[in-house]
Amino acid sequence: MNTHSIPLGRHLPVLLAGVAACAVATPAAASGVRAGTVIRNVATATFNDGTGDRTINSNSVDLTVDEVLDVTVVSRDSGYASVNAGATGQVRSFTVTNAGNGQEAFTLAGVGAVSGNDFDPAITSIAIDINGNGSYDAGIDQVVALGAASPVLDPDAAITVFIISSIPSSAADGQHGQVRLTATATTGTGTPGTVFAGQGTGGGDAIVGATHALANATGGVAGQAATLALLKSATVVDPYGGTRAVPGSLITYRLKATVGGSGSIANLHLNDAIPADTVYQTGSLTLDGMALTDATDADAGVASAAGIDIALGTQAAGAVHSVTFTVKIN
Amino acid sequence: MNKYVVMLLAAPVMLAASPAPQSVQLSSTVMAEKTVSVGGREQVELKTPGSVLPGDRLIFQTNYRNGGGQPAMQVVVTNPVPAAVAWTGEATPGAVESVDGGKTYAPFVQLKVKGADGALRPAQPADVTHIRWTLASIAPGASGLVKYRGMVR
Repeated sequence: MNTHSIPLGRHLPVLLAGVAACAVATPAAASGVRAGTVIRNVATATFNDGTGDRTINSNSVDLTVDEVLDVTVVSRDSGYASVNAGATGQVRSFTVTNAGNGQEAFTLAGVGAVSGNDFDPAITSIAIDINGNGSYDAGIDQVVALGAASPVLDPDAAITVFIISSIPSSAADGQHGQVRLTATATTGTGTPGTVFAGQGTGGGDAIVGATHALANATGGVAGQAATLALLKSATVVDPYGGTRAVPGSLITYRLKATVGGSGSIANLHLNDAIPADTVYQTGSLTLDGMALTDATDADAGVASAAGIDIALGTQAAGAVHSVTFTVKIN
Repeated sequence: MNKYVVMLLAAPVMLAASPAPQSVQLSSTVMAEKTVSVGGREQVELKTPGSVLPGDRLIFQTNYRNGGGQPAMQVVVTNPVPAAVAWTGEATPGAVESVDGGKTYAPFVQLKVKGADGALRPAQPADVTHIRWTLASIAPGASGLVKYRGMVR
C-alpha cells in the first residue's frame, strides 16, 4: 500500500491542490477492489464553439485490477487443551481467511512436529467445518487429504479448519505438544511483489502480497496423566486388650488411595484378598468412614470370605479415598 | 505525448468523417505513481500501467486542446471517478466535486453526504463521484491539462 509520504508538490507543482486535512480513503473491503475489475476512465467536455453547445468524450483508458495473494491463519482455541496421554481424536481449530482480492484456494497442511515442544501429536486428518457450526462433526465435516487444497474462497471469505490428532501414549503429565496448520495460496507464494503473470482472477496477473501468500498458526495440547498411590496399613487388637497378633486377634486393614498428577483415572477398583488363616468379619467394610454392605448392591463395595472390591469409578487427580475392613486371626 | 501526436494526426480524418468538426479535443491518460529506490533515495516514478493493485495511487490526467478556428467558450471538463477508485482529495485548482453521481457540484468542503444513520455528514474524499473544471474559454490552438489523484480501493 502506498502512502502519502512523498510530498505532492515535488512532482506535480501547481497542477494539483490538496484538500486540507483530507482523509485517506477507506477501501470498500478489507482486501480491496476485486481482481479482474476493469477501471475505465473517460473524461467529457461541454463547450460552446460559437455555433452551439457541444459535448465530446476523451479516449477511454482501461486498467485491470490484478489479484493480490494474501492469506491469514489464526487459532480459534485459547491455550492448551489438556488431554490424556494416548488420547485420539483431539481437535484443534483454526480460521483460514482469504485476505487477497481474488478467488483463491489454499493448500492446507498440518504438522505435529513443532519445535520447542515435549511431544509431537500424530495428525489423523484435516477437516473443513462444512456446516459452519464451529465444532468438528465427524462424518459431516469435509475431510481434506493432507496437503490438499481448500475450496475456492472469495475475497475476505473465511473457513474453519480442524486438525484432528492423537497424543502419544508416552506424553507425560504436564508436557506440551502443538499442531500447526499452514495455508498456502495455490497460485503461488514468495516474497511480496512476486508476479505470477496471467494467473490472477479475471485474467490479470497474480501478485504476492504482504503475507507472502502463506500463513500458519499453532494449536496446543498439554499431556495429562494421573497417578495412583496406594498405602496399606494395619492395626491389631488382641482378645486381651493388647496389640499382639494371636489367634482371636482382630486386624483392621486400611487402604488409602491417592490420585496424583493431573487428569483422571477411569474405572478405578480397590481390591484386596483376605489373608490366609484369617476370616473376614462381616459388615466391617467402610469407605471414607461410611459403612458399606457386603452384598453386591447399590453401594460401591462388595466383601466376601475371599476378599473385598471397592468400585470407585472415575477419579480425578487430587482424590483421596480410604477403605477399611477387619479380619480375625484363626 | 505520443497520444497527443496521434490525436493531431488523426484530426484530418475526423474532419473528413464528421460533418460538424469538434474544435475541442480531450485526451485522457492514467499514470501510476510507483515509489522506487534510486541510489538509496525513494523517488516516485509515473508509469502508464496496464494493470493495478488495490492501494495503487493513480494520476488521472485530461489534456485539452482547441484545434478549431474559433474560441471555445464555457468549457466544462468532467472526469467521473471510477467506482473502484477513491479520490485522495487532490486535484488541479478550480475543480468542483460531486458526491451524487454528477447531478450537483460544489467545492468539496461544502459537500455533505447521508451517513448510515441517515444524518448528513461532511463528505470524505472517497465519497466523490465526479470532478469538474470550468474554463471560461480556450483560444484557438491553445491547450492545457487538468488532473486528479486517486487510489485504487
